[in-house]
Amino acid sequence: MSIKAKQYLIGALGFLFLGSLLIVQWSEVSRKREEAGLAPHHISHPASSRSCIECHDKLSPGIIDHWEGSTHALKGVGCVECHQANEKDVDAFEHYGATIATIVSPMDCARCHPKEAKQFAQSHHAHGGHILASLDNFLAETVEGARAPFNPHSPTPGMEVDMVNGMASVDSGCKQCHGSKVALAATTGDEITVDDLKPDEKGQPTNQEALARVRRNESNQPILHSASWPNTGIGRINLDGSLGSCSACHSRHDFSPRRARQPENCAKCHLGPDHPQKEIYDESKHGVAFRDLHAHMNLDAATWILGKDYTQAPTCATCHMSAHSRDQEVTHDPGERISWTNRPPVSLLMDTDIHHKVIDATDPAEREKLIHDSWQNKRDRMKQVCLHCHTSNYVNSFYKQYDDFVINYNEKFAKPGQAIIAALRKGKLITDIQFDEEIEWTWFYLWHHEGRRARHGASMMAPDYTHWHGMFEVADRFYQQLIPQAREIAKHASEQGNEQAGQAVEAAIAEILARPEHQWYEGQAKQPMQSP
Amino acid sequence: MSRLAMWWSERIPISGEQLRELTNEPVPNHMKKWWFALGGTPAYLFVVQIVTGIMLAIYYQPASTTAYESVRHINEAVSYGWFFRSIHKWAATLMVAAVVLHQMRVYFTAAYRRPRELNWVIGMCLLLVTLGLGFTGYSLVFEQLSYWGATVGGNLVDTVPVVGGSLKKLLLAGNEYNEQTLPRFYILHAAILPVTLVLLIGIHITFIRLHGVTELEPGVHPKDPSKHFNFFPDHLLTELILGLTLMVLLSSLATIFPAELGPRANPLETPEVIKPEWFFYATFRWLKLFGPTFAVLSMGLIIFTMFAWPWIDKVLMRMTHNKEISTYLGIVAVFLIVGLTVWESLVAH
Repeated sequence: MSIKAKQYLIGALGFLFLGSLLIVQWSEVSRKREEAGLAPHHISHPASSRSCIECHDKLSPGIIDHWEGSTHALKGVGCVECHQANEKDVDAFEHYGATIATIVSPMDCARCHPKEAKQFAQSHHAHGGHILASLDNFLAETVEGARAPFNPHSPTPGMEVDMVNGMASVDSGCKQCHGSKVALAATTGDEITVDDLKPDEKGQPTNQEALARVRRNESNQPILHSASWPNTGIGRINLDGSLGSCSACHSRHDFSPRRARQPENCAKCHLGPDHPQKEIYDESKHGVAFRDLHAHMNLDAATWILGKDYTQAPTCATCHMSAHSRDQEVTHDPGERISWTNRPPVSLLMDTDIHHKVIDATDPAEREKLIHDSWQNKRDRMKQVCLHCHTSNYVNSFYKQYDDFVINYNEKFAKPGQAIIAALRKGKLITDIQFDEEIEWTWFYLWHHEGRRARHGASMMAPDYTHWHGMFEVADRFYQQLIPQAREIAKHASEQGNEQAGQAVEAAIAEILARPEHQWYEGQAKQPMQSP
Repeated sequence: MSRLAMWWSERIPISGEQLRELTNEPVPNHMKKWWFALGGTPAYLFVVQIVTGIMLAIYYQPASTTAYESVRHINEAVSYGWFFRSIHKWAATLMVAAVVLHQMRVYFTAAYRRPRELNWVIGMCLLLVTLGLGFTGYSLVFEQLSYWGATVGGNLVDTVPVVGGSLKKLLLAGNEYNEQTLPRFYILHAAILPVTLVLLIGIHITFIRLHGVTELEPGVHPKDPSKHFNFFPDHLLTELILGLTLMVLLSSLATIFPAELGPRANPLETPEVIKPEWFFYATFRWLKLFGPTFAVLSMGLIIFTMFAWPWIDKVLMRMTHNKEISTYLGIVAVFLIVGLTVWESLVAH
C-alpha cells in the first residue's frame, strides 16, 4: 500500500472515529442535561405497555400524559407493571392479551416498594377504613341517611327516582377519606367483599363459593360495586386483604412526590370542623412561611431532605414523614413522630403496642409491659425535625406549653364531660342510641369538633384555633349547654319518680363543679382562688 | 558579551546555538500534514489538564461526604468554576480521542516496527494510564454514575482469575465502595497516574529523539535537507497553531456544553441507566454481550495482543507473506470499536 493510500486510510478512519465521537458526545451531553434537570426526560415506552399506551393515548390521553411525567415512566415502569394481576386474583380479567386488575392495591405497590408498604400498613392511616363500624359512621349511615333504601317523597323531574340510596352520604363522604371496603357486584344482587373472599397471604381468594358469584360484564370483566368504587380513601379495605390506597396521597397516574410533599395534598381530608389541620397549618408561622417561600422549597428534589435540600418552611410531610439531615429516613407511618393522640374525647399519650395500637391501659406496670414504641420515642423523633430550625430550649418549652394545654383540656372538660354522659347512661336517663338526644349532640360537638380543634391548634401553633375556635367554644358548650342540659334531664327524671338516677347525675355534676377550677361558675367560691 | 550575558552563560552554560542544535531534529516533510501532529496534541491537552486540575483541586474535597457538594460549589459558586471544570472534562475527552488517533496513525503507518517496538509498548502504557486518569477522574464527582461506575469497575476487576479479589480490594480499598475509596481514587488521579504519565511521556520522547521521527518515504536519508524541515521553529509553530485551535475548540465546547452535575451518589438506589464514560462504551457493550468473566478475560487477551503487536505483526507477516496484513486487521478493529461504541451510545439500557 502506498504512502498516499495510507494517508487516505488514516484520514478516513480518523474521520470515522471522530464522527462516532460526535454521536457519542451528543448522546452523553443529552443524557447529562436530562439528569441535571436542564432538559425534559426522554420517555421510552416499555415494550410490555406499548399497546396500552397506544390505545389509551386516544381513549384517555390524560392518563398517559400524567404517566409520562412520572418517575415511573423515567424508570421504565409502565401500565402492566402496576396493573398486572394473577389470573387467580378475584378482580383479574383478560384485557387485550394481558391479565390485569383495575384497582392497584398496596400489595401491588409492595412488589417494588416493600419498605414503604410495610411502614404504611402499620400506620393509623391504613386502618382508616375501620371507621365504617364506628360512631361517626352511624352518624352518616343512619342519622344523615338510611341503612336501607327508602321511597322518595315525590317525583324528581327529569330523572326517574324510584328508590333513595340512604348510604349516599357515606359513599361520597366518609368513605372518600377513610376508604371503602371494596366490593364486587354479585350475581345474587348483593356485594362481595374481602370478608366473603377470605384471601390467603398472596391476596388470592380461598372461598370458591364467593368467587363463583362474581358478576362480570360482556368482556368478562368483574364489576366493581359503585358504592365502593371509585375510591382512593387512605384506609381502603381491598379485595386482596391489604389496607389502604397509595394513590390517596400519591395521586395516580403521575405519583408525584412533589405533590405529596405539599400541604394541599393532606388537605383533601385534614380540614373542616372536626380536624382542621390544613387551616391550622395555614394560620401557623409554618404555613405562612411556606406560602411565601414556596418557590425555594426545592420540591422537585429526588430525596427532599430537610436541612440539605431545603430549610425555608416545613409542610405536613416535613414534620410527620419526610427525611431530614439528622439521620432520619422518610417514613410512611406519620404516627411515628406524634406523642399525643388528639382524636378521642380524652387525649391519650401515644404509647403503642407491638401492633402499633395506642395503649389505653392505665396501670403503669401493665403499660410498661405492652409498650413497643413509647410516646417519648415518638416525641424525640419529632424534636429532631424541630431542631433544624429551633433551639432545644425553644422546642422543650413548646412541648411544655402543648402538654399543659392538652392536660388542661382533658382534666377540666373532657373527663368531666365523659363522666356526666356516663352518669346519664348508667341511670338510663339517655338511650343507648347515639344522636337521638340533644345532649349527645352537645357532647359530640364538644369533644369531636371544638375539643379537637383546640388540641390540634395547640399542637401546630395556631392560636386562633387553639382559643376562639377551640377552648372558648369548648367552655361555652360545657357550661352553657352540657351542664344545663344534664341538669334538666336529672330534674325531669326526679320529677318523673326516678329520683335515684336523677340525684346520681346531680351529684356527679355537683362534684365536678365543686372542684376549684369550676367554682367560679356557680359563684360558690366566696374566697378568691389560690394560685396553683 | 555584556555583564548580564556573562552572568547568565556562567550559570546556564548552554548557548542559543547549542539549544537550537538540541531541539532541531530534522522532521520529515510528511509531518507538515496536520494528522501527523497528533503526538503533540495529547501532550498539549495533558498540560491543560494539569493546569485546570490544580485549579479544581483548590476547591475539591476528596471525601464521599463532601466531594459532591464541593463539585457543586465549583459549578455554582466559584468564579469561572463551571468553565474550568468544563474545560477539564472536555480536554479529557479530547485527550483520549487524540491518543487513540495518534495510535491509529502510528499503527497504520507501521511506525511501531523495528527498532521502535519498545516505544509502542510505552505508547500502550500511555494509553492505559490516560484511560485510568479518565476512569478515576469520572469517579471523583461522586454522582450516581460515578459511584455505580466505580462499583461496576470493582466487580469487573473481581472477575479476573486468581488475583481479581486482591486487585479489587486494592482499587476500592475494601470489598466494596467505602469511605476510603474516593480518597484512593483521588490519589491515583491527582498524583500517581499523572506522575507516571510524565515519566512515560519523557521516555516516549527520548525514544523519538534517539530513533528520529519515522521516515515514511522509503530510501530517504534522515539528514537529506530536501526531504526534511526544521523542528525548531517550523514544527513548533505548527504545534502552536494546533494548540491555539484546541483552546478555541475547548472554550467553545465548555461554553456550549458545560459539564453538568447528575444526582448525588446513592448506594441504596441503582440508577435505571448505568453507563461509564464514553471511552469505555466499547468494553461495556462487550461486557453486556459476553458476560463478565469471558469479557474480562478476552479484554485482557486483547490488551496483551496490543502490547505484543510489533512481534505478532512480524510473525503474521512471515506466515502470510503479506506486508499489509496489519492494515487489514486494523481496519476491522477500528470498525469493531467504533461500532460497539456507537451501539452502546444509542441504546437506553
